Amino acid sequence: MTAFIIRRLLQVPLVLLAIVVVTFSLVWLIPGNPMLQDGRQPPPEIVEAMNRQYQLDRPVAFLGQYLAQVSGVGWLLGWDAVPFDLGPSMRHPDWTVNEIIGAGFPVSATIGLGAIAIALFIGTIAGLIGGLRPGSWMDACTQLVALIGISVPSFVTGSLLIMLLAAKFRLFPIAGWGTPAHAILPMVTLSLPFAAYIARLLRFGLVEQMNTDHMRTARAKGLSRRAAAIRHGLKNAFLPVLSFLGPATAVAMTGSFVVEKVFAVPGLGRHFVEAVLGKDITLVMGVVLVYALLLVLLNLLVDVLYAWIDPRIDLAHVQAR
Amino acid sequence: MRWIAWTVIIVVVAWIALSWERSEPPAEITFASADVFTMDPQRMSYMQDLRIARSLFEGLCTTASDSREFAPGVAERWENSTDGKTWTFHLNPRARWSNGDPVTSGDFRDAWRRLLLPDTAADYTELLFSVRGAREFFSWRTKALTEYLAGDQHDSAAAQELWDRTRETFTALVGISTPDAHTLVVELDNPVPYWLDLCAFPTLAPIHQKSLDAFTHIDATTGIVRSSPGWTKPGVLVSNGPMKLAEWKYKRGMRLEPNEMYVGANTALAKSVAVVPIEDANTAVLAYESGSIDWISDLTAEFRADLAEASANWLARHRDEYELRIGAGASVDEALAALPDPDPALGERRDVHVLSAFGTDFWSFNCRPTLPGGRLNPFADPRVRRAFAQAVNKEALTKSVTRLNEPIATTLVPRGSIDGYLSPAGLPFDLPRACAELAAAGWVDRNGDGVVENEAGDPFPTVDMLYMTGNPRVKNIAIALAGMWRDGLGVQCELRGKDGKFAKEDLRNGDFMIARGGWYGDYGDPTTFLDLSRTGNGNNDRAFSNAAFDALLAQAERELDPAKRLAILSQAERLLFEVEMPILPLCQYVTLYMYDPTKMRGITRHPRLDQRLSQLHRTEASTAKPAP
Repeated sequence: MTAFIIRRLLQVPLVLLAIVVVTFSLVWLIPGNPMLQDGRQPPPEIVEAMNRQYQLDRPVAFLGQYLAQVSGVGWLLGWDAVPFDLGPSMRHPDWTVNEIIGAGFPVSATIGLGAIAIALFIGTIAGLIGGLRPGSWMDACTQLVALIGISVPSFVTGSLLIMLLAAKFRLFPIAGWGTPAHAILPMVTLSLPFAAYIARLLRFGLVEQMNTDHMRTARAKGLSRRAAAIRHGLKNAFLPVLSFLGPATAVAMTGSFVVEKVFAVPGLGRHFVEAVLGKDITLVMGVVLVYALLLVLLNLLVDVLYAWIDPRIDLAHVQAR
Repeated sequence: MRWIAWTVIIVVVAWIALSWERSEPPAEITFASADVFTMDPQRMSYMQDLRIARSLFEGLCTTASDSREFAPGVAERWENSTDGKTWTFHLNPRARWSNGDPVTSGDFRDAWRRLLLPDTAADYTELLFSVRGAREFFSWRTKALTEYLAGDQHDSAAAQELWDRTRETFTALVGISTPDAHTLVVELDNPVPYWLDLCAFPTLAPIHQKSLDAFTHIDATTGIVRSSPGWTKPGVLVSNGPMKLAEWKYKRGMRLEPNEMYVGANTALAKSVAVVPIEDANTAVLAYESGSIDWISDLTAEFRADLAEASANWLARHRDEYELRIGAGASVDEALAALPDPDPALGERRDVHVLSAFGTDFWSFNCRPTLPGGRLNPFADPRVRRAFAQAVNKEALTKSVTRLNEPIATTLVPRGSIDGYLSPAGLPFDLPRACAELAAAGWVDRNGDGVVENEAGDPFPTVDMLYMTGNPRVKNIAIALAGMWRDGLGVQCELRGKDGKFAKEDLRNGDFMIARGGWYGDYGDPTTFLDLSRTGNGNNDRAFSNAAFDALLAQAERELDPAKRLAILSQAERLLFEVEMPILPLCQYVTLYMYDPTKMRGITRHPRLDQRLSQLHRTEASTAKPAP
């Protein structure tokens, strides 16, 4: 297991390098100059000076310096004062990308983790209800609710929650960030689609499990349907949910643009969309890096958990993918 | 059930992580604003940044609250020479930076030099180009940097040498001198009647060079003087205005508190003012309704016309009493606060205020002879431009499309916004004349199909209308305009909505026939609008070029008599909007504020909506802030 983890960790820098290069090429291809804002246009000499200052006229030099700066190689060689410097934001001259991510990521991660926790809770209960009695009216109800959860976009649920719980009953603050109360509605809004997916995955997993040999054995030795399902079926039925959870957690933690906008939450998702629209090259690459790193690490965690839950999987003999 | 336990643990951990944030007591005044871009006075150009900078920094003079007069700022008094070209400012020797250092004339010189450096990449560099030698200095430095980059010496010694040479060149070339620590002398190329207006503009605010130096380095490869992010953060930023930066969290807001070192006339009235960025327009209204913000500085919710109407209805019912109170010397807010409460049953409200802004909403005609790819551009012909302009019923636009009843515009400079300036009449809505103009240009419906054709029988090219997506107002106007031109002139229009950045690219390349535009003036002079149409101006998206117009602007620059100068400028604007018509002005912009005058005061009705946050405060009647 340790060898597997080490091997996977060694792949991380290569994966990140590939992602940086691809992202950089894509962002570079977005038309427009990040230095040009809406409204007043600076004279051409100024645009040229800005291009030079940020090396926007020399993409290869830009990428080279960026890689050295971000990887810490530049620091090791004594070129840079600090390692892992994601550079200054091009559209927010008063902030570095490290500061922006440092401010936005904890917010998004809190909402994301909370949302995943809520989703797990709701999703598992709904999945159990449906999975234990497939075809019953309770199953139909949970399936319908799950379908609605998947289909209704967050800006609708978010706005509805604000209108009802914040504006009408004043149970929560309307927008902003700072107290635990500010986090509840965004967490709930973000959790609903995830909860719905989990419910569906778990329900179908359980239904499948109920027809397996080991479940029949469990029933034969006298366990009730429910006890057998929970004690022997749930673990296996949970496997598809687990593989869904890895990327889902990464998605939730890196922030949802819609939820963050509706609730005026200063998270990473909003910065990312605005950065792409404004062609803020350094900020886009910084956020993509964080997202990629999170995704890789969470997928690794899921693989390890897989082995822990399902003893049939032997990581020691898995070849590097 | 083990994982349920895990779920609970994760929730608890997330909860604790959140509770770590120590929540502060709400500020005395909290207002919603667009997101702040920078607090570097020389680099800023966004309205929301300038608004905060007006209270963080103080220039040589300040604009008065409700009029176009100027009040002393750091300068106690000033003199202008008889030829109008030399200004001498005498600074208040008691003026202090927020760290206790005296504010000196050198701080202004350093700031203005910084504004003039291409390295700073300031949006408003051109504001100083009327100073003798400023433009030359800017070009000199641009050239020197290019040569440095092309040269073969790229070490810190060479970069430092270039910087030393730059400072010497600045002193030698530019007409800014500091005879002593409290005197600043500025020499201009030509008399500039709006010079004091510029001195009150936040980008010309002084800079505390010592605190900036710690964040500045000279890049050895490019020779560029670079300041790294960080010096504008709370605790680092040294400012000289009535307020100081107490807190600034990225996209979470800002908190300003009184600057104890400030000795000027605008001492802060509130204990703290908080700025929160709320992007979603509807969320902002809900936050206001719940009492967590006091003022929405730009109400953009789609239902704002209805909100404005609710306030207008209430005011209409009490118009006589309102006029009486204004006549007795009450301010607008005092009068509004004293009127009887709005009747919720009638859907009335007291808190939506429609104010004229110093800007004009317009559409641009592409004046280039041909379109990209050599396509025919019918709008190169001024007769066609005049025809299109006269076929627009602007009254109907502001009444039924924008629904805000903005004052309609036939010229670019907002009518009556500049003392002594007589706006030309422009061209009114006149459909028969519009058709006649189009016919004179050769476009007549020759085969009776309702579409105009030229002599060869080719129909008028489909008009390519470019607009920026994201603002429903713009799209609605575009649809209405296309309808008016189709029905009135017999031409087909095609709307082409693009995201801001992409639309800008098309504007730059001249890839449009008619495009959405708009402009806010920066200082109280017609040139802030007329310069847009000068040949080669960076904001002249239309590529309009007219020798007679350029000559009139040049003549005005040399004119010493202010009244004569304004008459020349008026003549120039007449040429634009009665003859050439490169721009189709629709209406004056309005800004909608949302605040309750019974709860807060200090918002000015300045003609350019220059707000001073230091003057905001709660009324005595509402000292207890309602819980959010």
